[in-house]
Amino acid sequence: MDFEHLANALTLTNLALALFGVVAGTIIGSIPGLSATMAVAVLVPITFSMAPASALILLGAIYTGAIYGGAYSAILLNTPGTPSAIGTTFDGYPMAKRGDGDLAVAIACYASVFGGMVGALALLLLAPPLSSVALAFGPVEYLWLSIFGLSLIASLSTGNVLKGLAGGAFGLLLSCVGVAEISADIRLTFGSPTMIGGIEVVGALIGLYCIPVLIDLVATPERHLKVEQGGRAVRFREAAAIAWRSRVNLLRSSVIGTVIGILPGAGGSVAGLVAYSEAKRTARPDQKFGEGEPDGIMATEAANNATVGGGFIPTLVLGIPGTPPDAVILGALLVQGVRTGPTLFEGGGSIVYTFIFGLFIATILMLPTGLLIGRYAYKTIVTIPKTILVPAVGFMTIIGTFAIRNSVSDVVIMITLGSVGWVLSRFGFAASPIVLGLILGPIAEQGFVQAWIIGDATGNLAGMFFGRPISLGIIAFTILSLLYPVIQSRRTRRLLKMQANSND
Amino acid sequence: MIDAAPTPGRKDVGTLAVASLFIGLGLVTLHDVTTYSDRDSVVFPTFVACALIFCSVLVIIRSWLWPSPHNGFGSGDWWRRLLLVVTMLAACLVMPFSGFLPATAIAFAGGLVAARHEGWDARSAFVFAASGVFIMAGFYALFRFALGVPLP
Repeated sequence: MDFEHLANALTLTNLALALFGVVAGTIIGSIPGLSATMAVAVLVPITFSMAPASALILLGAIYTGAIYGGAYSAILLNTPGTPSAIGTTFDGYPMAKRGDGDLAVAIACYASVFGGMVGALALLLLAPPLSSVALAFGPVEYLWLSIFGLSLIASLSTGNVLKGLAGGAFGLLLSCVGVAEISADIRLTFGSPTMIGGIEVVGALIGLYCIPVLIDLVATPERHLKVEQGGRAVRFREAAAIAWRSRVNLLRSSVIGTVIGILPGAGGSVAGLVAYSEAKRTARPDQKFGEGEPDGIMATEAANNATVGGGFIPTLVLGIPGTPPDAVILGALLVQGVRTGPTLFEGGGSIVYTFIFGLFIATILMLPTGLLIGRYAYKTIVTIPKTILVPAVGFMTIIGTFAIRNSVSDVVIMITLGSVGWVLSRFGFAASPIVLGLILGPIAEQGFVQAWIIGDATGNLAGMFFGRPISLGIIAFTILSLLYPVIQSRRTRRLLKMQANSND
Repeated sequence: MIDAAPTPGRKDVGTLAVASLFIGLGLVTLHDVTTYSDRDSVVFPTFVACALIFCSVLVIIRSWLWPSPHNGFGSGDWWRRLLLVVTMLAACLVMPFSGFLPATAIAFAGGLVAARHEGWDARSAFVFAASGVFIMAGFYALFRFALGVPLP
């Protein structure tokens, strides 16, 4: 690694490719239904005639832009553009509703850039040692990781943990619908061909988050977002000041995103939710997560963009894709004749280091382009009449869901699930635990069955589930995350009691 | 039809109904797993169904003892909500026969009518219809030709 690689990344062609990739990725990622994986997959053919380093820079820029772009629709429409932006809806949409959408978009941009830089830095400095983390994870570790993820329900269900747990179980049950991954049994379809393909996660996300908003929007004549009078200036400085005050949250969330990005299959959605939960757990008493707290947006966006660099670590060092877009990029690299693995950093080091510097440049370019696109996206959504916004978003949910698997069944499931989600939300069953169950269900089931088979074959079931050091560490974190809210609320009650006594 | 605002003190019937439906869903799942051929397919849905039933029973007990007066469908026009959802579902049913654009035009028109509270005149009808054609054609072209999605 030397300045020659940096100079290679800074050529006019590579800069133009990085800029194009960030803009294209941001726009594609902001459309509900078009995930980062799809953005990368759609634009992969363009790279076949390019030099490998330039191709990697373009794909990395598209990927990082798409992950950030998902924040726009999450903040302005309560619909995560990509699954990674689920956590952004929790506080982003409440901020937009109270007239702070421009601030939320700017905060998301700063956090995404910070998270992207931390992930890229980890890729630059720690790739070979960190990739061993991915190899240390077996089926049982994935099982415990998913159970740790499910324990986040406790912090994601605002108000009623029991309803959150019931919603999480409902989501897990939905993840079982269709052909079983391990044994190919057809489950819970009740003879309906519509259900055989199972419930597609992105379609379910669109349904559960977007359809309830549309149903609420049409019911009353009120405006969709509050508009501030007088046309105030862009709130870049205010957002930067908030981001600076929450630098610890940004750093912690970025590290979480990088580490989870390294684990194959976990991805940005899990990273964003874990970081959100940690931010909420360590929040000050005056911070109200779920009601428009900027720290919630920062945690999710920093973490999901950090998974970009984190995910490239096992992809480039071990040839194991860390996230689904990495799998597409790995395929593109193989077409280029580039063989990934530890030797890539030695023999083909110039390609890797040029790409890593290119990723830094793309992430930096995301700052001006993201703020600019975000400003216009906000102004468009705020000023557009509700009469045209509702059918336009409805049309986008249909076309976006259809495009995932070219299936009308997915669209029917999306609308049905959205309508059911609206009814459930009206009685205190939030969408987030259901989505969490839907995402983590397949990971938990696969980990459980594989660990059971291995433990059964070796005659050491208990040792398999409870005898591995990483598993024990994750179990400890799970217990901590379940008990912490209880301990914290007791502590708060005790403090309030003491204050009341001293006032008397 | 406009809903009345929720009154404090009444039973939270909606929560009780949803939790009862979850219990029913759990029981149906426990029946469905008896038809699977492989034991590996049975364990996880069985565990999840039991968890769903257990949590739902606790929700019912809690909701019965401490009902929440804030739960309910809230205010708003029901016909608009129904029109939106029904036209979107109708578009899906028609799509295999009519093609993508004519089918989604039904959903778009339904959404326009449902979301318009200010009343219609010839000018607004023309402007919104033209905007709709422009938006649908633009996204259709993007997905069909630029992204290569095989829209029917």
